[in-house]
This record gives sequence, C-alpha cells and structure tokens, in this order.
Amino acid sequence: MTVATTWKQKLAGKVREDWAREIDIFETQIELRKKGKVEEKLFAETRLRRGTYGQRYDNGQRHDGEKTQTLPFPSAELTKGPVTMWDAPGMQRIKIPYGKLSADQLDTLSELAEEYSDQILHITTRQDIQLHFIHIEDTPDIMRRLAAAGITTREACGNTVRNVTACPYAGVCSTESFDVIPYANALAFFLLGHPDTQDFGRKFKVAFSGCKDEPCGLTNFHDAGAIAKTRVVNGEVKRGFEYYVGGGLGAVPYPAALFDEFLAEEELFPITQAVCRVFARLGERENRARARLKFVVKKLGIDEFKRLVLEERAKLRPDERWTSFLKDLHVTDEQPLKAGSELAPGSYPEGFEAWRKTNVQAQSQKGYSTAKVTLPLGDFTPGQGRLMAELARRFTGDSMRLTVEQNMLFRWVSDADLPAFYQELRKAGLGAAGADHITDVVSCPGTDTCKLGISSSRGLATELHKQLSVIADQLPPAAQELHIKCSGCSNSCGQHHVADMGFLGVSRNMNGRRVPHFQLVIGGQYKNNGGSYGLAIGAIPSKQVPKAVKTLTDRFVAEKRDGENFQAFVARIGKKEIRKLVDELSVIPSYEQDPSYYSDWGDPREYTIGDLGVGECAGEVVPLVQVGLADSERELFEAQLLLDEGSSDSAAARAFSAMVLAAKALTREKNSFLGEGVDEIVSEFRTHYYDTKLFFDPFSGGKFAHYFFRAYEHRAETVSSKDSAHQLIEEAQLFVEAAHQCYTRIAGALP
Amino acid sequence: MLSERLQLKLYLEPSEHFELEALIPVFHRFIRDQVLKELLIDVVDYSHVPDGPGVVLIGHGADFYVGALDGAYGLVYSRKRGGPAADGRLADALRRLVNAARLLEQESGSKLRFKSGELSLRLTDRLRAPNDDATFADTKAEVVELFSRVYGGEVAVERLPTSKEPLSLRIKTQISPSLEALLEKLGGPPEVAS
Repeated sequence: MTVATTWKQKLAGKVREDWAREIDIFETQIELRKKGKVEEKLFAETRLRRGTYGQRYDNGQRHDGEKTQTLPFPSAELTKGPVTMWDAPGMQRIKIPYGKLSADQLDTLSELAEEYSDQILHITTRQDIQLHFIHIEDTPDIMRRLAAAGITTREACGNTVRNVTACPYAGVCSTESFDVIPYANALAFFLLGHPDTQDFGRKFKVAFSGCKDEPCGLTNFHDAGAIAKTRVVNGEVKRGFEYYVGGGLGAVPYPAALFDEFLAEEELFPITQAVCRVFARLGERENRARARLKFVVKKLGIDEFKRLVLEERAKLRPDERWTSFLKDLHVTDEQPLKAGSELAPGSYPEGFEAWRKTNVQAQSQKGYSTAKVTLPLGDFTPGQGRLMAELARRFTGDSMRLTVEQNMLFRWVSDADLPAFYQELRKAGLGAAGADHITDVVSCPGTDTCKLGISSSRGLATELHKQLSVIADQLPPAAQELHIKCSGCSNSCGQHHVADMGFLGVSRNMNGRRVPHFQLVIGGQYKNNGGSYGLAIGAIPSKQVPKAVKTLTDRFVAEKRDGENFQAFVARIGKKEIRKLVDELSVIPSYEQDPSYYSDWGDPREYTIGDLGVGECAGEVVPLVQVGLADSERELFEAQLLLDEGSSDSAAARAFSAMVLAAKALTREKNSFLGEGVDEIVSEFRTHYYDTKLFFDPFSGGKFAHYFFRAYEHRAETVSSKDSAHQLIEEAQLFVEAAHQCYTRIAGALP
Repeated sequence: MLSERLQLKLYLEPSEHFELEALIPVFHRFIRDQVLKELLIDVVDYSHVPDGPGVVLIGHGADFYVGALDGAYGLVYSRKRGGPAADGRLADALRRLVNAARLLEQESGSKLRFKSGELSLRLTDRLRAPNDDATFADTKAEVVELFSRVYGGEVAVERLPTSKEPLSLRIKTQISPSLEALLEKLGGPPEVAS
C-alpha cells in the first residue's frame, strides 16, 4: 500500500469532484502567483473568493508603541495582493450555512485550528468560523480537509453571496410559522457559484427568520431577508415569505425595504435570482463605498426596484431547482437521539439552575430543550470543539448551530438529560451561564487581527465581561437581558447598531496624543429582527467605557418604569441626559498623570492607528481646528435631538451644517481667508482636501468626502423623511470622524 | 522527526503570584527588542478562554503560548513551518523553548518557575505524524536519545491516551537541571531565526 504524502493523495475520492477541482485550481494559482505569472490584484480577488483574507500587519509594518518596524518576512518581494506580504499570516473564513455543524465537521475544524492556526476557533457574527494566523500556502490543504467533511469555503469573502444565515432555533421554535431551514439550505447551494452571482460590485447577504418579532434572524439588515409566513388560500395553508431587500449595516446602516408581503415559496428562488441580476447590472462598480444593494434600492426607490426585478424575473429561463427542493422539505429534518422526557426533580449540579435560566429554552417539541454554550467572544479551543462534538453524539444526535451572538446552540436535548449535559460542559470549563445576556458581549475582531480596526473591541468586550460578571447576579432581569455589542470601527461587524448599548471604535487627539475611544450608540433594537438602529451619542475614551456602561445600567435599574425596556427608557429620559454622561467621561488625566488612558484594552503599547496605514503629513497642529471639530460634533448631536423630536427637516439641515463646520475647520488650515459661505467652503474643501486626496483614508479613499458633496448637492431639498434624516446624520457622523483623522494626519505629530 | 509541526511544553510550578495578563507587555517587548531571534509578529490575549492557549506570541515560523490547553499552565513552543532538517527539529525546539522559559523567569522576578524535568510533546501534523503506534515508537526513540544526552539520567516517555488528538507524549526526566545548564548543553541561546 502506498503511503500518502500529501493531503490531496490522502483524501483522493473523499472530496466532491467539482470541489476538488476548484481547490486544485486555487493551488495552481498560488504556484503561479509565486512565479509572478498572476497579477496581484487578480490573485487577491481569487483568494478572497475562497475565504482567504488578509490580517493586520500584512503590509509588513508594525507599530511597536514607539515606532513602526518592518517585519522581515522571508519572501520579502512576493505579495498576495496590493501591499499584502506573501508570508504575512492571514485569516481563513469558513462558511457554515445557517450555522449548522455536524459532530464530524466540528472535529475536522478542531483539527485544522490545532495544526494550522493558533489553537482557537472563532465564531463570527454571521455564523461562520474563522481561523486566524494562517499561512497562504496552507490554505489548499485546509480547504481539502474541509471539503472532505462537506464544507466549502467558496465565496466566503469577496464580491459574492456570503454565508446564508438563519435563526438557530428554526425547526424547534414555538414562535415560527414554519421551519425555514430547507429553504435556507437549498438557496445557499443554489446561489453558490451561480453564474448570476459572480459579477457583483460588492458582497450580498441573505438571512432567514421563522418569525417577525424575535431577533434571531436579524433579517432587517440583510440584502435579502425572508421571514416565514403562511396564508390561507381557498381553505389551504400556503407557505411563503415576507420578503425584504436592501438592508445593511456598515458605516451607514439602512433598514431593509419590504419587497413583497407574501412571496410564495415557489417564487423565492427566481425572485432572489432576479434581485441578484439587477444588483449585478445596476450596482456601483467604481465606488466600493456605495456598491451594496442598499444604495441601489435607495437610489431607485423600492417601487422602481421591484418593477425591475419583476421584469427580470419574467425573462428568466425556468430552472427545476427553483422548486425541486419543495418536494421533500423534510430533507433537513433532524432526528433526536433520545426520546423527550421531563426533567426529574432532585438535586442538580452546582450552577445548574442559573445556567438553565439563561441558556436553556424549551423547544416546541415536548420533552426537548435547546441548550446554549456560552463562548466568550465566540472563541473555543480544539479540545473544547471535540468535547462539544462528543456531547452532540452522546445527547442530541449530531445537531449543533453556531449563533450570530457567537455561541454554540445544541438542539434536541432531552429535558431529563439537561443536568448531565451541563455537568459535562462544566467539567470542560464551558458551563458559564448568561448566554445572550449583559455579560455575553459580542465583538468583531477589531484591532486584534483586523486591518481596519481602530480600537480594541475584543479588549473592551473582555473587560466589560469581567466587570459585569461581578454585578450581573444582582441586576434585575430587565438589566440582565441588555445586549452589548462592540465593533472596532464603523463597519459594524460587531452589529453595534442593534444593541441596547453599542460601541464602535474611533480615535481622538487629546493632550497632544492619540487616545482610543468608542462612540456610544444608543437606541438600537435587537428584537423584531434588528428592527431599528441606534445613533452615536458621543465618543468616550476606551478606558472610561466600563464606567459608562455601569452608570447607564445603574440608572436604568433605578429609574425604569414597570415594563419599560432600555430602548423606551432612553427615549423617555432623552439623549441629552446620556450626552451629559458622555461629556463627564470624556475628560481624562494627562499622559504624565496616568498613561494608561493612552493605550487600549489588552494592549500596553502606546495607542496608535499607524498600523492602519501611513497618512499624508503636512501643516501643523492648530488648536483652532479642534475647536471647529468640536463645534461640528455638537451640531451633530443637536441634529439627533431634532430627529428624536420628529423634526426630520431640521435634523437633516443640522447634520449638513455639522459637515460644513468640520470642513470649514479643516479648510481654514489651508486658507486663512476662508469666508462663511457654504459654496466657498465646499469649493475650497474640494480643492485643498479632496483633489489633493489629503482627506482620503488608506482604506475608504474619498468616500466620506462624497457624503459631504452629496449632502451639499441635495441641501435645497426640504422634505426629509425620518429614514433619510437618520442616514444623513450617520453620514455626517462619518464625515466628522474622517475630519478628525485627517486633522491628525496633517498635524503630523501622531502616528 | 518527520513532522515539521510540533509543540513542546515546559510546565510551570504552581504560583499564587502568576498572572497571565502580566505576560502581554513582556511579549510585546520581546517583539520590539527582537529578544528571541525569531520573526515575531503579534501578541494575542486568549485569557478569556477556559483552559485555552492563554497569551500567545505569534511568530512566522513558530508561536509561543503561555496557557493551559492541556489543563496545566506552561510555556509551549509551537513550530509551524520551516526550521532545521528532520534530525535536528526536536533539539532545536527544545533549545528555543528553554531559552524562552529562561527569559520569562528572568522577566518575572520570582513569580514564574518552570519544572525543567517535566515536558509534553505534541506532533500537530496528522499527515506525516499520525497518532499511531509506529509514530509513537519512532518519536519515543528520538526523545529518549535527545533527552538522555541533554539531561543525563533516565527518561520516561508516556503516550497520552488520545485518539482524535495529535500524538501526545509526556516526558519526565530523572534529573532536572537548571534552565541555564540545559541551554548551555543545547548550544546556548539561538543566534538566528530558524
């Protein structure tokens, strides 16, 4: 017998033929790139489409707290994309459709984390798994081993249809109209590699929910969102979906627009296909910042967009896959391992009751429960992965779900088994209570590994978890159920817009030094599939954020009225009150008094955003600029208050005014004779900051300036809806934030 | 040793003064000052993960962990790629591990103390080093040869009862020399990145 010396040999015949061929091609592309025979941009898009991302420091530069040092990677001249060193560790995203994992798949993932990564598997906020610190040349073998377990990384990143997500309770939930999983499963594989999904200008995200009121599916911020619905037609119950399009978080969040109140199940695939075709045809190509479907829907209006989609639908050549899956909707059904039986009274293991209260939920099937494993920051080890796989085999019959709150959900646990199940988790250190509660803080990777991270969202989440764990047991249920979500930048991977308290990383120049901050985002709604988005109240120094959370929580506990949730509480007391807290906490000691404020959570290096990229350097630090920028922030806050009062027009005008103030503050640096007229400010800003690209940031280019120019062009339009005013405020927020960053760059004093 | 990927671990003496987070600035300084003669890239804090890798110093060819992945705290040298030829891999790993342990002890004052005579070895390469009897026999012979030479005295090698995990060995030496003495036997601190 020949001994296999490569994974390709070892797994021959165990991988789907088409998947094996794709991976072979990718491996060849790696070899060609090493020989310089594939252009770097093309290679970058190729690897992204296989889920192989860059990571922080992959430009070969790292700031050590004192200065930027070059990382001398061995293949110094070779890149895997623009300014991306070949040998720099990267991230492998692994698509797990609707988060469903079998025990064998979890074993395989654990092996990969053990052999190629840093002994950690990370659950993302879109039910993916990510492995970090992966070398590009290891990725084909990783993909082969995944493929042998029935997992493909194809289209996990890049301008493609990303992981199709769904409510993790689908099929076992008492509030669902019906189980959406057969639909999510079939649609995920219908869209994977489909010719109509290969030519997007940007990514496309799909989500399913079994009901409208709960948060689990979060359909409101997806490009296509389908909520299960039934309708009685001629005495017969028909299945369909309340179908939404054009939602998205990102820097400027858009709520999805209702496309159809009841899209019949037979039309789900062709309509989604038609949406993809319209998106491919009309989506922006040049300006990535406005390339998501939400901008197409916004620009055209939902009625015109729907007309175009229906027109496209009528032209589609029929495809038997649109409906063939409907013949067997039970194909994704799960068979429980054990009969459902009641939990016997008696003495339970220590901590069981607390865990049961927060982590266990009764299924719609009598005698069964779902049980959630709390995984801090979505991280777990290969050993814990294997243990969870064994628990699935032993207790549930091979059924697990990754959740968007970065936990692991077990379904079909017989109620009688709950104490034994808990006991096994507890022995492995996985028995923590509090899943999806105040201590279970969600976070994107932030500055830990993400190239775009500005502040340490994971560091903050860890600290909040530590501090809140001390007081959580004493809090009333309404406070225990608060949701906190953190993002390291404005791109919203931590989904901070749909939290009770959301945080997004920014930086500020204070006392001549950079200080990590987080914008506090208040008023978001987690329920109703992420029903509404919060707005930023103001920036708080990172080290003051736990104090802000504690103060807000205490105040909510002390002043909440009967039945009042946090969102209603905030609306009642008003953002002015919360702003006062932000203002109080924005003052920090000087560096000489306490340097800890000038570094981020979990990272003792003096804080810098130098690792984001090197900015242009000109001019001098002039305090007048800071005064002007502070004025623009105040103006922006006023805009929010006006919006809350229902004065959309005034709010929009004030948001634009905030942009003008920020632009004026910067432009006066270049033209000391600058007048007060808006036309002149815009024109001079364009000349000195846009045309020169001085305002551009290394990753977003001039997109924030575009927000300003567009607001200027539309300033005469007096009728603003609440949504459009909300969006303008978001854009103004980003413009002002970019002005802060630009100021720091031109000041040149700070990295 | 056919496996390019291996993890060698030295265990810590229990200490009430030990704080995992205190290692974060130390590892950042190791990167800044290029203390370990390795291409070091970043520090990651996984102290929130129970029985996890702890605090990780990420490198290009190798990582260093101080954590408790197997339930006991210690320092792991994890070779990921490259390094010397097969017959020198284990010795090179031991040399780099002992050197890093010695530096951590020095950094910590008296807070960290390693048990020099108690180690574990995992071969994290299921292709070239499957968890089977043949790999164990080959690896054990190599371990006994190296550790007898470097430590002196008898060396006990036990295969940990695992099936899905990589091949894992527990190594106990009869003699427990100081880390300095071990390092001298191994050729002193590494001069270049492996």
